[in-house]
Formats: sequence, C-alpha cells, structure tokens
Amino acid sequence: MGQLYDLRTKIEAKIAADRLDATDVKGKIGLKSGRLLAFISPSTPDDPVAFEKLKQAAKDVLHLNI
Amino acid sequence: MKLKSIQTKVLAALVACLVVGVGGILVLMQFSFKRNAEALAQESVSGSQKLFAILEAREISKMTAVSEVLIANPQIRDAFAAKDRNRLLGLTAPLFPKLKSEGITNWMFHTPEPDMAVFLRLHNPTKFGDRLNRFMDKEAVRTHAIVAGNELARAGFAVRVLRPVDAAKGGIAGYVEFGEELGQFIHAMKSQTGNEYGLLLSKQFVDKQFWADSSAVLKRRNNWDDNPGFVVADKTTSDDRIMRFQGSLSAVPEQGTVLERYLDGTSIFVRGIFPIRDASGNTVGAMFVVRDISAQYKAMRHTQNILVSVIVVSLLLGIVLVLVLLDRLVFRRLQHIIRVATRVVGGDFESEIKIDSGDEVGQLELLFEQFRRVFVDVLGHVTEFKKE
Repeated sequence: MGQLYDLRTKIEAKIAADRLDATDVKGKIGLKSGRLLAFISPSTPDDPVAFEKLKQAAKDVLHLNI
Repeated sequence: MKLKSIQTKVLAALVACLVVGVGGILVLMQFSFKRNAEALAQESVSGSQKLFAILEAREISKMTAVSEVLIANPQIRDAFAAKDRNRLLGLTAPLFPKLKSEGITNWMFHTPEPDMAVFLRLHNPTKFGDRLNRFMDKEAVRTHAIVAGNELARAGFAVRVLRPVDAAKGGIAGYVEFGEELGQFIHAMKSQTGNEYGLLLSKQFVDKQFWADSSAVLKRRNNWDDNPGFVVADKTTSDDRIMRFQGSLSAVPEQGTVLERYLDGTSIFVRGIFPIRDASGNTVGAMFVVRDISAQYKAMRHTQNILVSVIVVSLLLGIVLVLVLLDRLVFRRLQHIIRVATRVVGGDFESEIKIDSGDEVGQLELLFEQFRRVFVDVLGHVTEFKKE
C-alpha cells in the first residue's frame, strides 16, 4: 500500500524542482502510463504492473530514474 | 520535424515532385534546345541554298532581258546574220564593259547548227571557231528556245543563258550566250547574310591542266592537290576550315546537310553544304556555308534559363503554399487537440477546443470536445462516488 502514491510524490517533487508546467507534464505521464495521477492516493493499492508503467512514463517524460 | 510526421512525408513527397518535375523539365528543355539548334543549323543551310537559287534566278532573268534587248537591235542582228565578226565586235564591244560591271562576265555568239562553233567571244575576242559541245548547246539546238542553267566549262563554272537569234530571212542566224561566274555569287551572298561561303567543283568535271593554267592567269595558288575529290573555285574567307569535307559530292542530299556545329572562341558556328547542279542535272559542285549562330544560340539559352528559373521558383512557391496551408488547416489544429488532451489528463479540466470550421479536422475537433466534456463529467461523478 502506498507504492504508487510515493511515486506520484516523487514525480510532483521533480516537476516543482524543475519548475515545469505541472498540468502538461502530468498529462503526458498520465497518457503514457494510462493512469490519472490525481486519482493516486495513499490508499491506492499496490499494483506492480501499474507501478512499472508509471515509472517508465516518468523516466520518458522527466528522465526521472527511480 | 519528426521523420514519422505527415508534414515530413508531405514535404518529402513535394520535394520529390519538385526534383522529378524540374529534372523532367530540364530534360525536355535540353531536348527542345537540341531540336531547335538542329533546325537552326538546317535552316542556315537551306536559307543559303534558297538565297543562291534566288540569285541564280535573278541573274538568269537579267541575262534573258539583256539578250531580248540585244537581239531586238537590227544592226547587231544583221551583222551577226551576215557573219561579219568585225562589225559585230564593233557594235557590241562598247556594251561589254557596262554588262561586265553588272556581273555578266561571258558573252558569246555561236554559229547555227550543225557547226555550233563560237563565232565571237566578247570576253576574249581573239579566240573563236572552237566548238564547246556542251549540254546547253545541244539543248538550244534541240529546242530552238532559251536554255538557262549552270554549266561547268573549261572557262569556269557559270550560270548561263543561251538563246537562238532569228535571221531576218527566217531560220536561225545563230545563238547568243551570256554567262556569270558562280564564284561571284558567294561574295554577293556574304554581303547579304554575313555568312562565309565556299564554292567547290568536282574534279570529275574539271580539266587539271586548264585549272593550272587558269590559276596562273588569275594569279591564284593552284589548289588542285589540296583535296582528293574537288577543287575550291572561290571562297569568302581565308580560313580553310570551311572546306573540310570527306566523301562524295554526289552523296550530298538535294536539300543540303549540316556537317557540324563548332565552337571558335566564344562563338558558335554551323557549317553545312548543299549541292550545285548543272543544267543537265549532274552534281558538279557544292557550296559550303558557315554561319555564326552565337546570337540565336545565346537567345535560346537565355530563354531556356528564364523558363527553368520561372518554373523552379513557381514550384518552390507552390510547395511553400501547400506546406503553409497544411500547417494552418491541419497540423496546428491537431497539435492543439493533443495539447488539450494532455492538459485534461494532467488535471486542467477547463481546457477546451474552440471549433471554428466544419471541415474534416473541425469534425474531429468537435468530436474530441464532446468526448472531453463526457470525460470531465465522468471524472466528476467518479470523484463524488469515491468521497461517498
């Protein structure tokens, strides 16, 4: 529990650190991964497949290695 | 620009069309240029041939008219009928310088058949009594009418008019003949056209010894051995390149032929040849013509360059126009749809698409906007459901 939410937090931190357009970047990552970041909460159950997709999307869009 | 994008593919297709189109046009232009150059070269030869024919016809008309006037003179006709050579010479000699200044170089009286011997040569009064036995003599005897044409004789190659002179008592008193050396034609042709000309005679019809003798009399170099099959009778230039020719004169086509186009410095010349026949139809000589076609050539090149430039510029402008239109009508609008879709997924649910057109892309925009509203509505319901 919370694995996906941790990843969302790291993504938002990176967007804030790089001062990027949050809506645009989140949209791109959402489209690539097939998940809406806004719907990922601390209670979102762990899903290895969804996690890998989100991680890969973050890597592609933000060059964020997790 | 991404390689997979439609824009790249369209641009590649347009560039390919441009390359193929311009290449095709260049090939077509080159082909057209070559054909025009050939036509120009052929026209140079045929034009000279026509000019020669016109000059020939004009001089024949002139000599015919002179002969009419001459035989209408009763004193001359009587002296000739009486075979009084001295009286005839006395009457005609004063006229000869004037005729000579008009180009008539030969003037003869012949006795009637069957002798048909030279009775008087105005251009060489001391020589008479010989028989020429030429084709035109035989034709005049056969037809008792005016015979005109080119005749190659020992005295040279001339256009001649031979006509019978009627005796007062009836019958034929003899014949009168006028002639003009063809060599002088080429100088008249050069003064009219600016082209260079050369007249050559087939050795088959020229006596070698006579050629050597006449060369000495005319103080010209004996050029008998210069060419295997022909001798150069006259030319308008000191440049011997005009006379390069290998082959038989009888093989030269009736309408003439272009021998070559060549470059001399910055000028382009065309060199051709056309046959000259005598009164009997034999090809006894030929005329070379060299024409400077630089001006026409440059004009053709200039026109070609302008056409190619206009076509290339038009095609380039067409490509730019097509790309601008595609960008405005398709690509920018597709980019906008992608941007809005991305922002909606990123949480900006207020991003929307304004539809200004009912074209194909407009229909896609409308569809997407409707889908976006449904999507946002569903998200709202899902959020409420989760809260509950």
